[in-house]
Amino acid sequence: MKKRIVSCLLAAAMVAGSIVGCGSQPAQAPSDSQAPAAESKEEAPAAEAKEEASAETPSSDEPITLRMAWWGSQDRHDKTIAAIELYESLNPNVNIEYEYYSFDDYFTKLKTLVASDEVWDVFQLGGNFPMYLDKIYPLDEFISSGVVDVSKISEANLKTTRETDGTQLGLTNGINTYGIAYDPAMFEEAGAALPTDDWTWEDYQKAADLITEKLGIFGSSTFLTSDFIAGCSTYIAQQGDLGQNSFFNLDLTGMGFDDPQMLAPFIQMRADMIKKGSYPDAGASAEVTNIENDFLVTGEAAMTWVAVNQFPTIYNVCAEQGRELALAHLPKVTASGNSGTLIQSSQMLCVSQDSEHKEAAAAFISWFENDIDCNNILQAERGIPANEDVRAALAASATPAQQIMYDYVDSVSKMPTPKEYNVLSPDGQDQVQDNYLNYIQQVVNGEITASEAAEKTYADAEAIFK
Amino acid sequence: MGETNKKAQSLSRIFNSDIVVGHVFAAPFIFGFVCFSFIPICMSLYYSFTDYSLGSKIAVFVGLKNFFMLFKDEVFIKSINKTLQYVFIAVPIKLSFALLVAFVLTRKSKMVTLYRSLYYVPSLVGGSVAVALVWKQLFARKGLFNSVLVNMGFEKINWFGSEALAIYPLILMAVWQFGSSMIIFAAGLKEIPTTYYEAAEIDGANGFQRFFKITLPCLSPIILYNLIMQTISAFMTFTQAFVITGGGPNNATMLYALNVYNQAFKYNNMGYACAMSWVMLIVMSLITLVIFRTSKFWVFSESEG
Repeated sequence: MKKRIVSCLLAAAMVAGSIVGCGSQPAQAPSDSQAPAAESKEEAPAAEAKEEASAETPSSDEPITLRMAWWGSQDRHDKTIAAIELYESLNPNVNIEYEYYSFDDYFTKLKTLVASDEVWDVFQLGGNFPMYLDKIYPLDEFISSGVVDVSKISEANLKTTRETDGTQLGLTNGINTYGIAYDPAMFEEAGAALPTDDWTWEDYQKAADLITEKLGIFGSSTFLTSDFIAGCSTYIAQQGDLGQNSFFNLDLTGMGFDDPQMLAPFIQMRADMIKKGSYPDAGASAEVTNIENDFLVTGEAAMTWVAVNQFPTIYNVCAEQGRELALAHLPKVTASGNSGTLIQSSQMLCVSQDSEHKEAAAAFISWFENDIDCNNILQAERGIPANEDVRAALAASATPAQQIMYDYVDSVSKMPTPKEYNVLSPDGQDQVQDNYLNYIQQVVNGEITASEAAEKTYADAEAIFK
Repeated sequence: MGETNKKAQSLSRIFNSDIVVGHVFAAPFIFGFVCFSFIPICMSLYYSFTDYSLGSKIAVFVGLKNFFMLFKDEVFIKSINKTLQYVFIAVPIKLSFALLVAFVLTRKSKMVTLYRSLYYVPSLVGGSVAVALVWKQLFARKGLFNSVLVNMGFEKINWFGSEALAIYPLILMAVWQFGSSMIIFAAGLKEIPTTYYEAAEIDGANGFQRFFKITLPCLSPIILYNLIMQTISAFMTFTQAFVITGGGPNNATMLYALNVYNQAFKYNNMGYACAMSWVMLIVMSLITLVIFRTSKFWVFSESEG
C-alpha cells in the first residue's frame, strides 16, 4: 500500500514531468540566449496594448504553451474550454493545455504537482490558498507594468484575493456568497412557511420536518462538507455582537471563540433532523457527489445549500423539469441577530512560481477576468464578475436565474458585516470537517451527546494550531 | 587484425554470457522495482519519522512522534478494527466460494472451460472504479437490491447509512472476485491423483468423506498459498471503500488503505501516513507469519506422508 501510494506519486510526477517537458520544449528550443531578448520584446507591445484594454496579449510571435487547470461542474468545464478556445484564436501563438477536475481530485493533483515543482502556469485557488502561498507568483509587478489590468476592479474586490501584507495573489473569478436554494412549490404543498430574510434555524428545522412528514422526502438536502461552514463557521459568527465571534481568528492562528458549547445546538439540530429523516444520513449523503445530482435537483429534497454561483446551474436543470427554484438567506440564530453571511471571492486565478511564461499567464488571467466577450461565454458561472463593465454587460442580458443571483448578492452585500473578517480556511480544516460529520453520526447513534460532540470538534480545530 | 578479432571475441563472450543476458532481460523489472518500489519504500521509511507533507519542501525530523500519535488516534484504531473485520470475513468466504466453484468445475464436461472463463471475468474487472460505482448503485437507497426487497414485501435496507451493515456490500464485492483463487484451486484439483479417489470408492467412502479426507488434505498447500495471497490483498483494499462509501458512515468502512490515503493526500500529513503504512506492514507480516507457523498443523505434504 505504501508502495502503491508513493509509486503513484512518482508516476504522477513523471507523467506530469514528461507532459511539461513535451509542452515547453518547442518554446524553449530557440536557445536560452534568446530568452531575455524575447522578454524585452514582450515588454514593448505591453505598453501599447494597454490602451486597448488587455484584449491583445503582450507577447511576441514565439509560440507559448500555457498549462491551466480548474475544478468545477460540467457546465464550468464547457464554458471555460470555449473561453480558452476564443483566447487561442485571438492569440495564435498561445496554446493553452487545460485540465479539469472535480474539487477533491483537483487538490490531490495540485498537491502532487506542488511536490514536484510542476504546478500549472495558471491555476485556480479558493479560500484554502494559504496552504499554497509558496507556489503563487504575485501579480503586483504585472499590474504596475500594465500586463494585468485592474482599472475596472474595485478596491474591495481586489482585496478579496490579497495577502494581509498587501501582495496581490491573483484576480478573483467572481464574488460569491452562500444561500439556501429551495423549491417554493414543495413548501406550499406541505403547508410549510416560506423562508424569509430573517428566518431562524428553528424555522428551518420546522419547515424541513413538516415537508418530510407531508411529502415523504428530505426537508433539506445534505450540506455535504459545507455543513461545517454552515454549522460551525456561520453559526458561530451569528452569535454575540457583530464581529465578536468567528470560528477561526482573523489571522488564522487560533480559535475565534471560546465556548465550545456554542456549537452544541447546531449539532443537536442536525442529529434530530437525521433521526426524523428530514436531513440525509451519511449513506444518503454519500450519494450526492456534486451539485447537479443534489437531492433538491432530483426532487428528493425541498432545499439545499449553495454557493450562489451554483444557483443558475441547478435552476436551469430544475426549470427543465418544470420546477422553479428560489434563493433564500441563511437561517439565523435569532431573527434580529447577525446573518454571519459574508461576501467573498469564490475562487481566483493565480500564476504559478513554476511557470516559465509568467507574463503570458498573467496576461491570460487579465483577459479572463476583464474581457466582455470572454465573460459572455463564462456567464458568471464562477461568481459575479469583479470587473464593473463586465458586470454591467452581463446584467443587461441576465437570465431569470442570474437575476435572482444578482439580487441575492445585492441584498447580502447590504447587510451589516464586521469591519474585518476572514473567510479563509487553515491547513488541516478537512480533517476537522470529516471528524465533525462523524461526531454528528455518533450523536445520532446515541454514542455521545451533542455537547460532547461540540467539545470534540473544538478540540480538533484547536489541534490544527499546535 | 588479430587484436580486433580478439576484442570482438571477448565482446561477444561478454554479451553471450548468462549473467549479462540475464541482467539485460531483467533490466525492465529491476528498473521498475528500484524506481517504483525500492526507492519509494526507503523514502517512506524516512518520511515516517518526519512531519513531511506533500506541499512542503522541508521535512522536519520528529522521531517516533508519528507512531505515538497513531495510538491516540480514534480513526486509526477504528480503521484497524474495521480492516480486521473485513479481512476475517471476506477472505474465508471468498476462498470457500472459490474452492466450491473450482470443485464443481472439475467435472468432465465440454462447457467447463467456458464456465471457468465466465467466473473469472469478475476478477478481471473487479478492482476497477466502474464496478465499484455499479456496486454503489446496486446498494443505494433506491438501488436494485432495495427495489427487489420492496417488491417482495420486505422493508428497504439502508445499506450505506447503517454502521453495522455498510461493510457487507464491500465484503460481497471482494467475494465476488473469487476468480483468480478459483483458477489456482482448479489447477490444484487436477493434480490430485485419481487413484486415491478410486481406492476410496472401492473402500466405500462417500462424496463427503472423499472431499474431506482426500481433496482437502491434498489441496492444503494450495489453500495455504491462496490464503496468504488473499489476506495480503484484502488488507490493501482501497477502491471499494474510496468509491462506494468514502469510509462512512462514521468511519464504519474506513479501511486501512483509505485512511492512509486520506492522511497523505486529503489531510496533507504524508509523514503520518507513511508511519501508518509501516505499522500496516508490521501487522501484515505478523499475520502472515502466524499463518505460516500454524500451517505445519494443517498443511499436508505428500513427501512427509
